[in-house]
Amino acid sequence: MEEQNNTGLRRAAEIYRHRGLRARQLKEEGKKIFGYFCCYPPIELLTALDITPIRVLGNMDEPVTEADDYLPPVMCIFCRSAFDLGMKAQYNYFDGFVGAHACDGAERTSFIWQNYIHSPCNFQLDVPHTAHGPALTFFKEQIALFQKTLETFCGTQIHPDDLRQAIALHNRQRALVRELYGLRKPNPPLVSGTEMLQVLIAVMSIPVTEGNDLLQAVINEVTTRANPHAPKHRLLIWGSLIDHAAFTELIESSGFNIVVEDTAIGTRPFWHDIEMTADPLDGISDHYLNEVLCPRTFRETGPSYQADSDARFNYLKEFAKHWNVDGVFANIIRNCDIHGYEVPVIKDYLNAIGLPVLVIEQDYSTAALEPLRTRFEAFAESIDGY
Amino acid sequence: MFCAGIDIGSTITKIVIANRNEVLASVVQRTGAQHRRRAHRVMEDALTQAGLATSDLDYIVATGYGRINVPFADAQITEITCHMRGVSWLDPDVRTIIDIGGQDCKGIKVKDGRLDDFIMNDKCAAGTGRFFEIIAKVLGIDLEEIGPLSLTSKNPAEISNLCTVFAEQEALSRLSEGVPIADVAAGIHRANASRIYGMVRKIKIEETVAITGGGAKNSGLCHSLQERLQLPVFIPPEPLITGALGAALIAGEKAARVGGPGLAALKKHRRWDAATFFSDSATQAAMQPTNSQHSHMG
Repeated sequence: MEEQNNTGLRRAAEIYRHRGLRARQLKEEGKKIFGYFCCYPPIELLTALDITPIRVLGNMDEPVTEADDYLPPVMCIFCRSAFDLGMKAQYNYFDGFVGAHACDGAERTSFIWQNYIHSPCNFQLDVPHTAHGPALTFFKEQIALFQKTLETFCGTQIHPDDLRQAIALHNRQRALVRELYGLRKPNPPLVSGTEMLQVLIAVMSIPVTEGNDLLQAVINEVTTRANPHAPKHRLLIWGSLIDHAAFTELIESSGFNIVVEDTAIGTRPFWHDIEMTADPLDGISDHYLNEVLCPRTFRETGPSYQADSDARFNYLKEFAKHWNVDGVFANIIRNCDIHGYEVPVIKDYLNAIGLPVLVIEQDYSTAALEPLRTRFEAFAESIDGY
Repeated sequence: MFCAGIDIGSTITKIVIANRNEVLASVVQRTGAQHRRRAHRVMEDALTQAGLATSDLDYIVATGYGRINVPFADAQITEITCHMRGVSWLDPDVRTIIDIGGQDCKGIKVKDGRLDDFIMNDKCAAGTGRFFEIIAKVLGIDLEEIGPLSLTSKNPAEISNLCTVFAEQEALSRLSEGVPIADVAAGIHRANASRIYGMVRKIKIEETVAITGGGAKNSGLCHSLQERLQLPVFIPPEPLITGALGAALIAGEKAARVGGPGLAALKKHRRWDAATFFSDSATQAAMQPTNSQHSHMG
């Protein structure tokens, strides 16, 4: 029992370190593997066809050398890094690739990926940038087209019951992730930012059932172990994703415990369940267009600047309240325009509710991390009241 | 109570020794490649100036880019906080600090004497001392001359490029077009002031504005910044030492909080031997005189 209690986090760290390993094993067993970009493709459709969805990420440790021949250096370096890994055959086990017009960078990268990295099946999901009625109708049609593409590729139809079961499995995953987030409410949190990062990347790298078992094991482990974490300032991260533990380790050794991440490898894919609608595609399209909260979607929310920011960022106020947040780190990967545009308004909003904000535009490279330490330490000192 | 602040910047190391709120000594020297040994040497000079022995120091705070390389420091505080403290002590009305260092540039906001917000550029030489060093070389003048020379210009040249390498090329082509050196220098100062102003604006500039760091010693840059800011500017009498001063003031507060018996324990464990990054015997031998010199001070 003791042995079992200790295996969750270690297993997560292991999967995090060797992200493609499980997928390659499954591939050898004859299973299909699809890569997907960002948190917009409805992976429930893949699970319903017994395809394992693998989240495409970059690598802050790996200098971009191949991608610059195809993607201009003025675009987001996360996208360039992911494509660079693709060009270096690190995703060569994909049977299919699902791109999405999440942001412009992701869209262009997805098309260029299709041209130069020849996965047997390709789909580009056109995600509307607004969320009103006609946009939802259009998005549902896109998802139906995605379903058809998958069915043609696999030579089988998705049975509605299988889709419902897939939705239930992924909803279960969302609930488990939220439960794990709940364990970061105490001070000190039971799970560190680095542990959370490893767990979330691990579940994005294995089939959903295995991910759910892993999450359950991690929850059992962290609720029964002696908490190894010390109390520090409690940090909320908003903005571009972080996909390397070197970054969270730097932050957590500079006076902070990361307690909640409003990013694409954080709360965003997990915070809301897909509703079980008569036509499952209704629940799926509503979830991905309306409930995944990334500023890539423009939402008209009010007649004034104040009403607009209240409506758009009230959820951050709730996070700050429930996770007892001391400060916010706005993480901007260089040239991530969608998060960059939001900085002035989000800073105003958070400052007004008494939260200090540290904005850093960083280069998505582990080699360039250490100079950021002074900023985090100074931010911690300002919260200390120096 | 004697406290010291040591600020190891990328280019220059500064030390301030204070007795409560009275500055007893301040020393400024080039940093060089070996921070640890440098810290030791500069501290020796500062103690001599203050007429103190190492054992007299109750608390030492290290700051700056090399703050982790000071074996005898009791605490490390970032240069952002220390500059804020130092400047605030010199002029409590200051709300915005523009610190122009050798290899970075910072904007710092002060609110009620506390650190409110900051922004930092350390990825690009534009707006830092390094930029002016390179351009002074292109213009064939000393770094100290470039500021005053720029002030004699009636017609500053247009310099559009702020990448240091390309600005160097642009300065060269202006010179080859026959533009006077003073006008090129003035153009360079204007362009850098715009860059610095653009960065600091993001944290909302409020008066009074202070300029610190090596950049504050460049009269041309201060003039161009003031033109851009259109606000009163405070330049400390010794703009290089505000970080070390702030560190010394924070050291004083920390010493007061720790109190007598705690301070005695701290002093006992303080490492006064000169540390080095290198372990080869030649380096060790070279370090010997420094060691013996220090033993009598302790």
